[in-house]
Amino acid sequence: MKEEALLKEPFLVVFKRWITSAGGITILLAIVVAIVAAIDAGPFILVNTVVTGGMWALLSLGLSLVFGVMNIPNFAHGEFFLIGSLTAYFTFNPIRLYLKDNPSPFLSAIAPLLGIFLAFFVGALLGVILEKLVFSPLRKRSRDQWVMNSFLLTVGISVVIINNVQLIWGANFRGVPNYWNVDPLNFFGVNLSVDRLAAFLLAVVTLIIFWYFMRRTQTGRAVRAVAQDETGALLVGINLNSILSLTMALSAGLAAMAGASLLFIFPAYPTAGLKPLYVAWYVVILVGLGNVSAAVVGGFIVALLQTLTSFYVGTGWEDVIPTAVIIIMLIFKPSGLFGSEVKGIQEK
Amino acid sequence: MENNAQAAIPGKTLSNGRFSAILNSVGITPTGLIMIVILLILPFIPPFNEEHILRWLVSAALLAAQAIAFDFTTGYINVVNFGFAAFLGVGAYTSGLLAVNLGLSPWIGIFVGAIPAALIGFLTGLLTLRLRGIFAAVMAWFVGLALLGLTRNLVDLTRGPMGLSTPTLLETSSNRPYFYIVVAMMLITYVVLRKIISSRYGLAFRAIGQNMDAARASGINPTYYRVFNFTVQCLFAGWLGGFYAHYFGILTPQLMLTARTVEVLAIAYIGGRGSLWGGAAVAFPFIFLIEGLRSNLTELPGLHLVIYGLLLVLVMIFYPGGFAAFYQRAAAWVKGLRGK
Repeated sequence: MKEEALLKEPFLVVFKRWITSAGGITILLAIVVAIVAAIDAGPFILVNTVVTGGMWALLSLGLSLVFGVMNIPNFAHGEFFLIGSLTAYFTFNPIRLYLKDNPSPFLSAIAPLLGIFLAFFVGALLGVILEKLVFSPLRKRSRDQWVMNSFLLTVGISVVIINNVQLIWGANFRGVPNYWNVDPLNFFGVNLSVDRLAAFLLAVVTLIIFWYFMRRTQTGRAVRAVAQDETGALLVGINLNSILSLTMALSAGLAAMAGASLLFIFPAYPTAGLKPLYVAWYVVILVGLGNVSAAVVGGFIVALLQTLTSFYVGTGWEDVIPTAVIIIMLIFKPSGLFGSEVKGIQEK
Repeated sequence: MENNAQAAIPGKTLSNGRFSAILNSVGITPTGLIMIVILLILPFIPPFNEEHILRWLVSAALLAAQAIAFDFTTGYINVVNFGFAAFLGVGAYTSGLLAVNLGLSPWIGIFVGAIPAALIGFLTGLLTLRLRGIFAAVMAWFVGLALLGLTRNLVDLTRGPMGLSTPTLLETSSNRPYFYIVVAMMLITYVVLRKIISSRYGLAFRAIGQNMDAARASGINPTYYRVFNFTVQCLFAGWLGGFYAHYFGILTPQLMLTARTVEVLAIAYIGGRGSLWGGAAVAFPFIFLIEGLRSNLTELPGLHLVIYGLLLVLVMIFYPGGFAAFYQRAAAWVKGLRGK
């Protein structure tokens, strides 16, 4: 309905309204800053931003989705990332060792993808288990103060997962030097490893599939219906429990996939999920809680902020500067850059 | 350390004599008084008079005091200060740096350190507490992360991860005097916060925590009370941080990690939210359990944290009242038995 109404207006009017909104101004500003920085420091700023931005987008998308649909502010989101990188490591590493003795070009091309897809399924499985084991019982018992209570539950889950990983596999870094052992490609004078390029392409493909799923399929529409109004969704015959499980599975799966794709940058380690967790939360608060499509844009904006910070200010300041930016932004626009499309978030 | 939840309701109070009237006015029941007396003589009873166990007792009392301050906000206005450890760290670093660089006595520094913690808390609260609870929790977390990042990166000032050596409060190497200091600080924290809770401020806090819109409709200004509450909590966090600085004698940015906040949070929730004393009561057995596990099962690091996490999850789902609710139910049951 909304899209049809938009189509009837002249494109320029819609564009003008969008470009003068807080979101539009920010996107424009981000693009300008990125171009200026790229001219000043070199095009690698753009490349780094785009590559990490894609994965931050996947992460924040999942976080935002779970908040929008289930009203759970997930503190354990980074742990899905960790489980993903662990799964990819334990899938990919044996194959890598096997390939050393028995070279096979086909297997070495396909092995990383195998690890990444397996990570998606393991993450999704963990998501469903958590939903059935933890959130569903709480939902049945009490829905008072749901947002705060479920937040604290995820804090507990995060502690349990991190320390179980440490108990089982010890505090060791488990990483791989690279996924595809080929020479880096050259873009505009910047060396870009195939791993990074693959991570970016994977993010783009996943985002497109996700968009198609949410907009064009019956199940995706059901998920959006639950996000808008749970009671209404129940009334029209949507199976609420399965939609909630599916949402959790998707969110966890996407995070696990991001973890698996970035294994060559972030080795699996008990607290490996912390940094991605901060980032995902920066993004989600920046664009507004529960706004799924804006989370994708936010992922790139935060990636740009981090790249600029580590280049101009120094590594180690990536937590300080984005926080300062977010705090300043919240003074002017408390609901986030893009507001929140989902009703009921501010009220709970 | 047990409080009497009904203290505010006349008729249910045990007001025989002036002494219990005074006790009541600071929110300590006869059972609580007995527990405090036991706690005070504990350092002289054989297994507890060894130095390493005294160290556990000091940590437990410090954690208990933190849990009381934490519950003052979570349990009443229902806002989780996720940057709690960082505010504690601000107090600790301020006091430590003043002592190291300006030679200020730690005894004064402890109190001075509370001021910047409260100030940052006030500004954070002013900024975030207009918003709903979860925004405030997440923003407090971000502020905590930023403070942690600053402490790590301002190496010239804080010496970063190398650690800042701070003078200790006392010359002695014995832990016993420190135990009495920290227990006194814990009791002061409890009594002051209990006083605030039993005033009309406490009533406003509860109203806001239960239903903000209803509270607003009854003429309560939620932002004012929430910012007040948050600032008081940060003040106490900074004060306790000062003790931390001058007891351990070394400060690293580690003390501001989110994991530290989670520890306090878990204790406060397992103890029972909205009770103030619950967290303090469970902190002591918990520290002993955890230190015992840690020293006996060194090949399983992190097991104690798994227990923390699992207990937090189980309490949140199945027994939201925590230990305080359990205690009250048990006390009512015992009373019922006596009545028969």
